[in-house]
Amino acid sequence: MTEYIPVLFVLAITAVTVWLGIYATRQSQTASDFFVAGRSVSVFWNASAISGEYLSAASFMGIAGLLMKNGYDVLWYPVGYATGYLFLLLFIAGPLRRFGAYTIPDFAEGRFDSPLFRKIAVTFVLLIGFFYTMPQMKAAGVTMNAILGWPYWAGIAVVGTVITFNVALGGMKGITFVQAFQYWAKMFAIAAPVFVLMNVFGGYHTRLGENASAPGDAPRVAQDTTLKFKGAASAPANAVSFSTLGDTRMSFPNGAKIDKVSPVRKAEPGEDRMPREAGSTLPDRANQPVHSLGEWNPNSGVPPRAGIIARPFTVTKNSEPVLKDGKPVKTAPKIEFAEPTTAVLPAGSYVPNAPTNKKWLEPFGPLTSKHGYPLLYTYSLIIALVCGTAGLPHILVRFYTNPDGRAAKRTTFWVMVLLGVFYVFTPIWGVLGRSVLPALYANNATDSVVIKLPTALSSPVLGQVLAGITSAGAFAAFMSTFSGLLVSMSGALAHDIYGRMLRPQSSGAERLRAFKVAAVACGVVSMLLGYLVETFDIAMMVGWAFAIGAASYFPLLLLGSWWRGLTKYGAAAGMLLGGTLSLLAIVGSMLLDKKILALDVSPLTRSLMEQPAIWGVPLALGVMVVVSRLTARHVPGDVDVKMLRLHAPEEMGFSKNYIEH
Amino acid sequence: MNDGPDAARHARLAHAVMRRQAALSIRVAAIFVVLVFGLPLVNLYLPELANARAGAFTWTWLFLGVLFYPITWLLSGYFIRASDRIEAECADWRAVLGEEAGEPLEPGGVGDVKPGFVASDEEATRR
Repeated sequence: MTEYIPVLFVLAITAVTVWLGIYATRQSQTASDFFVAGRSVSVFWNASAISGEYLSAASFMGIAGLLMKNGYDVLWYPVGYATGYLFLLLFIAGPLRRFGAYTIPDFAEGRFDSPLFRKIAVTFVLLIGFFYTMPQMKAAGVTMNAILGWPYWAGIAVVGTVITFNVALGGMKGITFVQAFQYWAKMFAIAAPVFVLMNVFGGYHTRLGENASAPGDAPRVAQDTTLKFKGAASAPANAVSFSTLGDTRMSFPNGAKIDKVSPVRKAEPGEDRMPREAGSTLPDRANQPVHSLGEWNPNSGVPPRAGIIARPFTVTKNSEPVLKDGKPVKTAPKIEFAEPTTAVLPAGSYVPNAPTNKKWLEPFGPLTSKHGYPLLYTYSLIIALVCGTAGLPHILVRFYTNPDGRAAKRTTFWVMVLLGVFYVFTPIWGVLGRSVLPALYANNATDSVVIKLPTALSSPVLGQVLAGITSAGAFAAFMSTFSGLLVSMSGALAHDIYGRMLRPQSSGAERLRAFKVAAVACGVVSMLLGYLVETFDIAMMVGWAFAIGAASYFPLLLLGSWWRGLTKYGAAAGMLLGGTLSLLAIVGSMLLDKKILALDVSPLTRSLMEQPAIWGVPLALGVMVVVSRLTARHVPGDVDVKMLRLHAPEEMGFSKNYIEH
Repeated sequence: MNDGPDAARHARLAHAVMRRQAALSIRVAAIFVVLVFGLPLVNLYLPELANARAGAFTWTWLFLGVLFYPITWLLSGYFIRASDRIEAECADWRAVLGEEAGEPLEPGGVGDVKPGFVASDEEATRR
């Protein structure tokens, strides 16, 4: 019966969220009520609300999972988010609040007196919004699969539908209160269980120290472990890279169909094929002939109750060992399943797909080195995260609820405190997961570590209660972020596209109806997109949304706030070029990962496609400057007034009297 | 309304206010750029130092995973205080422009630039 405990927690958090939404909506009847209420919100609660909206599934589940998978390099994600807020504080928060623009399309139109520019900005709200909803949807699917055993698509369908209706029915009007509550729910859910788990499984430092003491070792499973594997439809999550540290046996109670066998380390030109001794299928009871993994024929399946043994081997070239730093290079076989199957890993086996302790613990591990340019990858990731934080459409809206620019800065400071405390805890989950539940590596399920780890406790009731708390936290995470994004996107569609472009004469009631239709449409599209991205890491997908935002909105806000010479043509050209090229690079990278696009690109190009911020941001900034210089006569005539409105303190009276109360 | 002496003053005032704020922002940002872009270089070129043990942690993990956040708090706290000070100074705009007391600057000339995005009820119902 204990497995129903998490469901109760999830139902409870959903009910509280919906109820708070309805309650708060009743409290603020009209829109101006809402804004006045927003202004009376204290800095602390406003900061809680911003943090609540910001902490998405990527922060709650994704970073822990990605850190478990890749180690040190993943610490850059939360650091990038926190630094992003710092840059928001230094360059954007105060000016933007003073300007009175509460969405980026507003800023775009107000700063350049150009309704056309509003349209471009709206397009990017939708683009970034959809990219950011994909990981939220994946988190919904993974969580429901982990706690209820539902299929991935069912979790997305149910959760997506509930949230979409909640938003469409107007349950998010009293957003500040709900989001502030969600922050504290998430903070509790990430922190409280960790103390119990550390008490049982060993502390943060103890577990890290184990990795440092045995650099050449890697995690092993403690008991015989049954694992579910995915098929080729889920590539690249159907891949199993065996350990280079020792032989691995894997048996298949129902047999297996294996698409492809290859060495883990991609062979360089001239190197010999994988040798016969790299492993073989184990004979079943009927003593079927044994196949060598080194000469694998895709048509030869593994019969039921048989298995395979994979052995590390030395890479050779013309039968001579290939050396690196004077040592022979070793690798192991990697298999890719054609169809889903179940496998048993015997106790004591090294876990496939798990990096060695040294690679995991030290910088430039599997995440950043995968294409061979670790420093470049690291820098590009940092730029995307720092600049992208300033370009999230649903975050900037919240600065408007500050009474003035000064409060906007104070709020940002508190957001950094609240987020920083949260992010100290997330890596602990990944570190404990590596020691306690290494089996998650084998079938690429590290994203669920926050949900699964508590169930490893020996007391089933305690384990399920803690899993219930983290499940509720995960729910709070994707509910708050997905709701916020849906509101932003539906608002853009209803207000900017329907209300300003299609039917400018439409009444308020018609626009409200348009908002509801748009919310349902955006919700359905998000669910469909979410269904397609099951195999991508949550935190990595969020990185992509950030990369697009970093190359489009960030340059617009930065130069728009600080450079008088920016013209609408310069801003539009930079935003379109930077944003579109980053998007194309990322989509190309996704298609390559999925093997839909078969293209031989160099590792350098591959790195730059996967992490486009390092060229996208400078490109957008550069294009803005050059085109603005060429179109200098289009600088708005009252640019000094606009600059004063952005930067002069409120007491000077430049920014007071154009927002109607 | 951009004609007359006020327009020229607006321009000079905007320059003056922005220059001070920008200098502060850039100073604080520079510290961060050095920290965030410097650490990967330390990791790459001085791995013995980065991976030396600090108790059970390695130094680089301890810095990036734990200590980094309090540093952001300290620096942003400093920034807010310094930024408030600049604003307090700039409120006396004549001192900023180095002018003698005279005709008042007309803020109303700014306020009547009514942007097209004033929050109205129907627009705001969308959130």
